[in-house]
Amino acid sequence: MTHQNIKKFSLALVGIIAFVLPLVLRSPTYLHILVLLYFYAYLTTSWNLVGGFAGVLPLGHAAFVGIGAYTSTILFLQYGISPWIGMIVGSILATIVGVLIGLPTLKMRGAYFALATIAFSEGVRVMIENIDFLGPFKLNGPRGLLIPPLNTGLANFLFVGKEPYYYIILIMLIMALAFTYFISRSKLGYYLNAGGEEPEAAMALGVNVARAKLIAMAMSCFLTALAGTFYAQFTLYIHPRSIISLDLSFEIAFIALIGGRGSIAGPVLGALLLRPVSDFSRIYFGATLPGLHLVIFGVVLVLVMIYQPRGLQEPLTRAFNKLLDRFAVKTTMEDKK
Amino acid sequence: MKILEVNALVKDFGGLRAIDTLDLVIEQGQILGLIGPNGAGKSTAFNCIAGVYPPSKGDIIFSGKKINGWKPWNLCKNGLARTFQIVKPFSSKSVLYNVMVGSFVNTDKKDVAEEKALKVLNSLHFEDKKDIKAGNLTIADRKRLEIARALATEPKLLLLDEVMAGLRPAEIDELVQIIQNLRDSGITIFLIEHIMRAIMALSDRIVVIHFGKKIAEGIPEKVASDENVIKAYLGDEYVVS
Repeated sequence: MTHQNIKKFSLALVGIIAFVLPLVLRSPTYLHILVLLYFYAYLTTSWNLVGGFAGVLPLGHAAFVGIGAYTSTILFLQYGISPWIGMIVGSILATIVGVLIGLPTLKMRGAYFALATIAFSEGVRVMIENIDFLGPFKLNGPRGLLIPPLNTGLANFLFVGKEPYYYIILIMLIMALAFTYFISRSKLGYYLNAGGEEPEAAMALGVNVARAKLIAMAMSCFLTALAGTFYAQFTLYIHPRSIISLDLSFEIAFIALIGGRGSIAGPVLGALLLRPVSDFSRIYFGATLPGLHLVIFGVVLVLVMIYQPRGLQEPLTRAFNKLLDRFAVKTTMEDKK
Repeated sequence: MKILEVNALVKDFGGLRAIDTLDLVIEQGQILGLIGPNGAGKSTAFNCIAGVYPPSKGDIIFSGKKINGWKPWNLCKNGLARTFQIVKPFSSKSVLYNVMVGSFVNTDKKDVAEEKALKVLNSLHFEDKKDIKAGNLTIADRKRLEIARALATEPKLLLLDEVMAGLRPAEIDELVQIIQNLRDSGITIFLIEHIMRAIMALSDRIVVIHFGKKIAEGIPEKVASDENVIKAYLGDEYVVS
C-alpha cells in the first residue's frame, strides 16, 4: 500500500467510526458532548478560513453565530418559516454584516483587528440584550428566545433524540472540512496565505490582499451563521449571553491556536483535545471550581505556544507520517517476498 | 520603443524631498542601472514606479499608459514586477509554493500555475530546491527566490532592487549570467545595485542620483569617470582635474 492509499484508508475509517458511533454509544450525555465537540470543530473550521489562512485573528465570531441563530429562530417562531430556510437567510445576513465589518477592519494589523472584532461582537450582544422589539421582530432582550419542541420532524429541524442532531452536525463538519480543503488548494488559498504572511510581497506579485481577505471573511461568516441555527435548534433556547458571548469567540480561537491555525486538521484536533477537558471539568468540578476549564485552556495554550507555535497538528502529522513510512516499508518488503 | 518613462517625478515625505524632478527613460530590451550613495532615493524611486507610494508630482508612463497611483497588484498584472531589497519570502511555505503565488497572476488553475512555476525554477537552476521551506534558504537562494517569484508573473519590465547585496563573488557572477539571460529572453530590466563590478558589466546605461536628483546619465564608462559621480561617492578632493 502506498502512503496515499493508507491516508485515504485511515480517513475513511475515521469517517465510518464517526457514523456508527451513535449506534454503539447510547448515552445521551456522551452524544451531547460529541455533538458539541463537532459543533466547535465546525465553528473553528469556519473561523479558520479567515483566522487561519488569511493570518488575522478575529475574536468576535460569536456575533455571527448569534445572527444566524436569531434570524432563523425569529423567522420560525413568528412566521413559521422552516429553520432550514431561516438558516440560509441568517447566513446571508451574517455575510453582509461580515463584509461591512471587514471592509474597514481587515486593513488593521494584528491586535487592532482582534480588538475591533471584540468591540463589534460585544456591541451586538449589548444591543440584543437591550432591545425587545426590533421593528416587527421580537428579540425579547436578555430573556432570550425559547423554541417550543412541538411538531418535531425533519422539516422543522426539531428532533426528539440526539442522534439526528449528531448526524446533521457531522455532515456539516465534513462539508466544511472538504470546503476548506478545496479552498486551501485553490488560487484563493495561495493568495490568502501569501497575503497573511508577507502582504507587501504578495501585493507586488499581483495579489489584491484586501480583496482576498474580504472574500475569506464573507465565506467564514456564512458558514459560522449556519452553525448558529443548528445551535438554536439543538438547545431550543438562545439568549445573548449564551450565544454571543466572548467566551464562545475565545474558545473558537483557543481551539484553533492549540490545534493549529491555517491547517485543515488543526480545528478538529483542537476540538478533540479541548472539548472533553471543558465538558468533564464542568461535570466534575462545576460546583467547586467553575471556570476551571478556562484556566486549563490558558495553561495548555501557553505550553503549546512555547513548544509548538504552529499548533499540535504539526508534531502529530509528523508522527503520523513516520508511522506511515514504517508501514509502507513493511508492506513493500512483503510484496517483494 | 520606450517601455517606461518617468517625467519630472517628485516625492515628498513631509518636509523631506526624497525624489526631486527625476527624469528617466527605459527602452524596450535594455538594462538600465540606477546607482547612488546611501539614502540617495533609489528605493523610493522604485517604490513610486511599483505603486507602493503615489508620486507627489510628475508622471510615470509604463508601456504607453499613465500609471500614477495604480496599485501594485494591478501593475503586476500589466507586466511590471519587482523584487525587494530586504527579501520577503513566504517563510513557512515551500519554494514552489512561493513561486506559484506569482504564477497565479495569469491563471486560476492550480495545474497551470504549478507548471509555469516549475518552468521558471528550471530556468534559474533552482528546481532541486523546490520542496525546501523558503525560511530555510540561504541568503543567496532567497534573493534568487525573489527573482523567481517576480519572473513567474511573466513581466515585461522587471525592477531588481539590490539582488546582489550580501552575496559571494561566485554567486554574483552566477546572478549576472542569469540577468543577462533574462534580457536575452526579451525582458527589460531596471536595476539598483551597489556592486560596481556587476552593474558595469550588465547595464546598457546608468543613471546616478544623489539627494533625489539625477547627477549623471550615460554608458557605464562615461558615468564612472564623471566628475559629479566621483564627488558624490568619494568627496570633492578625489576629483582629478
